[in-house]
Amino acid sequence: MKSKSRALVALTAAFAMTAALSACGRDGGDSGDTGDQSDVAPIADGPATGTLEVWAMGAEGEKLPELVKKFQEENPDVTVNVTPVPWESAHDKFTSAIAAGTTPDVAQVGTTWMGEFVGLDALDPTPELIDVDKFFTGGQETTVVDGVSYAVPWYVETRLVYYRTDIAEQAGITEPATDWEGLKEMAKKMQSDGGAEWGISLQPGGTGSWQTVLPLMWSNGGEIVNDDMTEFTFDTEENVEALEYYKSFFDEGIANKSPAQGTTEADFASGKVPMFISGPWMMAAVEAAGGEGFADKYDVMEMPEAESSASFIGGANLAVFKNTENRDAAWKLVDFLTQEETQVEWYDLTTDLPSVQSAWEAEALSSDEKLAKFGSQLENAFAPPSISTWEQIATAFDSQVERVTKTGSDPAEALAAVQQEATSIGMG
Amino acid sequence: MSTAVATQPATRKPRSRSGKRNAAEARAGLLLALPFVVLFTVFTLWPVLQSMFMSFTDTRITDIRTPFAVNFVGLDNYAKALGDPVFRRAALNTGIFVVIGVPLTIVAGLAAAVALDKGITKFRSVFRMGFYTPVITSIVAVAVVWRFLLQPDSGLVNTVLGWVGIDGPNWLGDTRTSLLSLIIMAVWRNFGTGMIIFLAGLQAVPWQLHEAAALDGATSWQRFWHITLPVLRPTMLFVMVTTTIGYLQFFEEPFVMTQGGPLNSTLSASMYTYQQFGFGNYGVAGAMAYLTFLVIVIVTIVQFRLTREK
Repeated sequence: MKSKSRALVALTAAFAMTAALSACGRDGGDSGDTGDQSDVAPIADGPATGTLEVWAMGAEGEKLPELVKKFQEENPDVTVNVTPVPWESAHDKFTSAIAAGTTPDVAQVGTTWMGEFVGLDALDPTPELIDVDKFFTGGQETTVVDGVSYAVPWYVETRLVYYRTDIAEQAGITEPATDWEGLKEMAKKMQSDGGAEWGISLQPGGTGSWQTVLPLMWSNGGEIVNDDMTEFTFDTEENVEALEYYKSFFDEGIANKSPAQGTTEADFASGKVPMFISGPWMMAAVEAAGGEGFADKYDVMEMPEAESSASFIGGANLAVFKNTENRDAAWKLVDFLTQEETQVEWYDLTTDLPSVQSAWEAEALSSDEKLAKFGSQLENAFAPPSISTWEQIATAFDSQVERVTKTGSDPAEALAAVQQEATSIGMG
Repeated sequence: MSTAVATQPATRKPRSRSGKRNAAEARAGLLLALPFVVLFTVFTLWPVLQSMFMSFTDTRITDIRTPFAVNFVGLDNYAKALGDPVFRRAALNTGIFVVIGVPLTIVAGLAAAVALDKGITKFRSVFRMGFYTPVITSIVAVAVVWRFLLQPDSGLVNTVLGWVGIDGPNWLGDTRTSLLSLIIMAVWRNFGTGMIIFLAGLQAVPWQLHEAAALDGATSWQRFWHITLPVLRPTMLFVMVTTTIGYLQFFEEPFVMTQGGPLNSTLSASMYTYQQFGFGNYGVAGAMAYLTFLVIVIVTIVQFRLTREK
């Protein structure tokens, strides 16, 4: 009995192994058929019908049902089911849904996931129904993988320099800085004459510091990949200069090399650190930290120029999954969500900034002076290329930036290391 | 297991009848065990085998739809993992964490257990609960509080150090103190488990031995060293092995407190493996996981050998 069952187990295991092994080995041709945007099948006319499954993350997932009510009124035969997904588990949920073939029809997709999901052959290319020219260029570019667009930018955000106007005045600064030198001077003066402990809060490497350093590289005319996306170009002179500039803030004691976590708002409100670079959500955060009347004590300014002003564009895209059974209705919903009026309404609901340029002319957005500056920076905001290995490369980049700012490593050597690591990781 | 034991006495009975009954019992046993066996195979055994398979192939996230259409790369992933300076750093951090953290946890757990057993008579259950609370508290909540405590300027730790004239370091932000801070936090979080087990072990120490030794003039320290500790040996082994296994996989503390920084000084092997899975490098990540597994097996065997009764 015992030996018989053992033999059976061994036999089953052996069988399973051979079955597994014989199925091994990659297929000959790579499935990287780079299609053409013009080959994409058009979307049928008429109202949307059927059922649509939509996944959205965080606050968007909670507020979206309210917004799609109007879509359902316009298209009475359609049912839209919105499933909120927490951001933390969203990526895993998507990849397992793609593996299992249980993807939703429409979903909010993080801009940095595009390369990966397209690599998994999961997304439907954008049809002609969508007018891609209405979006901010930087946002639209995040949807493009290998020359084909697979989504639309849903909402965007970008980074500006926040500064305390009262402290600047005290330090004798009348005009906000416009170029690299100016920014550093301004931070220095606030520190020496404005009574601030540090001039500016910059991230000394670590997760997400690339979002501040890459824009400086772009500003200096640098790029991290070559034009035809075949090679990384981290170690160019322009990029090294940008990192040297970033490093100088730490070397000269203008920025803190080891700041405590999560104190940006409080330090800004107390005047300890009167400058930082961040996105639009920080307006509400610093005003909450600063109390009543604080809104008049600070302002935002565009990223300083070397050759040009450049910032990071973030936000999220809306994509239709390839194995949707209701492709027409799915793209119609996407089209609805990127209409000018819908985008303004969405801003009212969530304060997510519109990806459609014309929506910025609406009263709600243009009347707020600070917000309008985000709008104009968005015209010069860029995202890293959509490559599936970006997260891993970004981590390597962040840890090299950390070595530069904290241990004073040579920026040229650090970027050479990033270049080497990125090349060995590849573009996926 | 249990079916095999249950059927044994039956073999002594006459063959013809017992054969039938044996078979019926075996069938029933198999049937009863089946749900567990199926669940275990599908959800435990299969993933283990699959991940081992992955560690010998070039599986990446883009292969999740066709998990077997991948190429064998032999030990390449293992070589890659061992050649990765960040992984070696993570392994070193994990080693330091274990070498310092495990003895500290055992000493703290044993001290608390002895104190509760002998020293503390008032509010014993309050203390017992207090010492054990960190074990059952959510790490996320604990992390927030510890980050407050360890804040360089306004944290409680540096404020107290300031009273006695010491300018406290930036605990989590300095590469020299970051790992140490996490070790102390882990000891604080985990010594409660050891304490409970030691407390149970202390009940088994025969009081007659203590009494006899006391009559012979042994001091309480001598009695602890020569009576209590030897009797506790099996308990000690258990606590040591489980704590070591837990610490070799140390993950939560850096994950919530430092994200492995600054400069990878708190990156652990498990956390780096997790990152590699996140990047979609399933092959390399699988190899790293099995390297950790291998180390755990070796360390555990060594511990069993060293503490074996002579």
